[in-house]
Amino acid sequence: MEPQTNSGPLKWTLITASAVFLSVFLLLPLAYIVATALRQGMDAYLAAITDKYTCKAAWLTIQATLWAVAVNTVFGIAAAWCLTKFAFRGKKIISTCIDLPVTVSPIIAGLIYLLTFGRQSFLYPYLDSWNIKIIFAVPGIVLATIFVTFPFISRELLPVLTAQGTDEEEAAALMGAGAFTIFRKVTLPHIKWALLYGVVLCTARAMGEFGAVSVLSGHLWGKTNTLPLYIELLYQGYDFTGAFAASSLLVVMAIIILALRLWLERRGSKELDIRK
Amino acid sequence: MNEHAAYVELRNINKHFKDFHATRDVNIAIPRGQLAALLGPSGSGKTTILRMIAGLEQPDSGEILIGGRVVNNVPGSERGIGFVFQNYALFRYMTVFDNIAFGLRVKKAPETAIRERVTELLGLIGCSGLENRYPSQLSGGQRQRVAFARALAPNPQILLLDEPFAAIDAKVRLELRTWLREMITRLHITSIFVTHDQDEAIEVADEIIVTNKGRVEQTGSPQELYSHPSTPFVARFIGNSIPVKDYTRFRYFERFGPQTEAVLRPEFIGIFKKGEKLQYASSAEEGVVEDIIFRGSSLEIRVRLHDNLLSAIRSVNDPAIHVGEKVDVFIYRLFIIDGGRVTLAHNQSLKKESVVI
Repeated sequence: MEPQTNSGPLKWTLITASAVFLSVFLLLPLAYIVATALRQGMDAYLAAITDKYTCKAAWLTIQATLWAVAVNTVFGIAAAWCLTKFAFRGKKIISTCIDLPVTVSPIIAGLIYLLTFGRQSFLYPYLDSWNIKIIFAVPGIVLATIFVTFPFISRELLPVLTAQGTDEEEAAALMGAGAFTIFRKVTLPHIKWALLYGVVLCTARAMGEFGAVSVLSGHLWGKTNTLPLYIELLYQGYDFTGAFAASSLLVVMAIIILALRLWLERRGSKELDIRK
Repeated sequence: MNEHAAYVELRNINKHFKDFHATRDVNIAIPRGQLAALLGPSGSGKTTILRMIAGLEQPDSGEILIGGRVVNNVPGSERGIGFVFQNYALFRYMTVFDNIAFGLRVKKAPETAIRERVTELLGLIGCSGLENRYPSQLSGGQRQRVAFARALAPNPQILLLDEPFAAIDAKVRLELRTWLREMITRLHITSIFVTHDQDEAIEVADEIIVTNKGRVEQTGSPQELYSHPSTPFVARFIGNSIPVKDYTRFRYFERFGPQTEAVLRPEFIGIFKKGEKLQYASSAEEGVVEDIIFRGSSLEIRVRLHDNLLSAIRSVNDPAIHVGEKVDVFIYRLFIIDGGRVTLAHNQSLKKESVVI
């Protein structure tokens, strides 16, 4: 559609509507978070964010995020690669399963793991005898985070790999290049930006995950509380300064991710212009 | 080694894609140094044959031989072939230099040798100075040349090209055809290219292999295919063929077999203005001009004769003919389609007059 240039009233109505909407639903709450966090003064705010438990929660969030990103990068590339470069039975089933975490509620995801690895599971005695703790421990939190974020990277890669086709890989293979060389020299440069973009989306989602993690965490202070869980605990304990200060940490992390995303989009589209 | 012995040979090759029989009992033999074309309509199995020679597809049955050795179980990268893909498949994130050097780097050639070879090839394809460009910064013709150089870099024994001119605009295509023919002749490399364009095949190839529905219909030089089509498909496919339901209605063509179908070509038909001097005036028939198409260097005249719309070529220097005009039509010869066979029939009046003279 051509950009509308001559219908002034429509343009301004739409701009105003968007601005009001964003202010009410986004800027106002953000401003409120900052205001509440600072209500009792800068010292109280600093004390809240340097609190031992806040730091532990932040560190656990970062840890779970790193795990999720690492695992999903490997899995995402492998899944996207096999779905686009090979023809096999059950391709549709795999493709559908990848999307499952998006459609299933995170709470259910948490419960599934609880049932699989918890006390009532037939696996529990084995895990227990090897001293492996999953439920109400860090591994459970990592598992839950991986589960809810696993479509993000492969979903970014699939369209790019589909559009590329297999000709370049075939050409490289005919010249005697091995699978790893083909991936490194031909495929990877092609999916680089999509991959980084997927990593950013995955990171953002992993940091904010609440539902599935909440079921598996057990809310042990300083042990299994991620930032979102910790914020809820503080809030329910009427520690508003603490809750909003911790929230502001999460907001800062989100803003960093957002800036990264913008930068990636710019770089990616620039490179596309030159080498389409 | 015998000059005429087959260098690339396919014996009884069959290939299925699920229920689709893509290649049926194909036998092909291409001598060393020859430039062969696989010509056929889309879906006729020509690309499948090429991909099997390259090792990109495996035949269900039959043998593929290169230089007398069965290579069915030899990976494509060890068959000594260079492959030019239909859309070139240049590595878009590599420069022209890196593209051409890729095959040599994979083979771990020393960097100085690589530089030398790439520079030599860039000169050969007339693209010196473009080594730092990316494929997207090249014209269609340049991309084609780079793809050609990339395929040639590791010194293959055989060059395979899949629809090498399909993605290029008409004007450049003609230039590239001539260029490619010269290049291949100069390098004396056994080459096989796939095309659906008969003009391309006739102009470029030493030998044409016509494929249809997974079978090889006929193999021969362009002249042979043109003047002696051995199957009805080839008679219809090669040249601007005009199908005719009942050739016995034309004068001086005697019934030959049970069927009456025939194929005409524009060059088999002469169209003359009434009163124009004509050697066989008495044996010509009268037709009505329905359409005239200006072809630049010539005119295509469409004339209706016995319910058949025939096309013939007239020079722009001949006296002008107009739509609706009654003209004399003389048919020199035609291909009679008789079951699975094709027979060339001449106008009987030609014989008579030669007897008189």
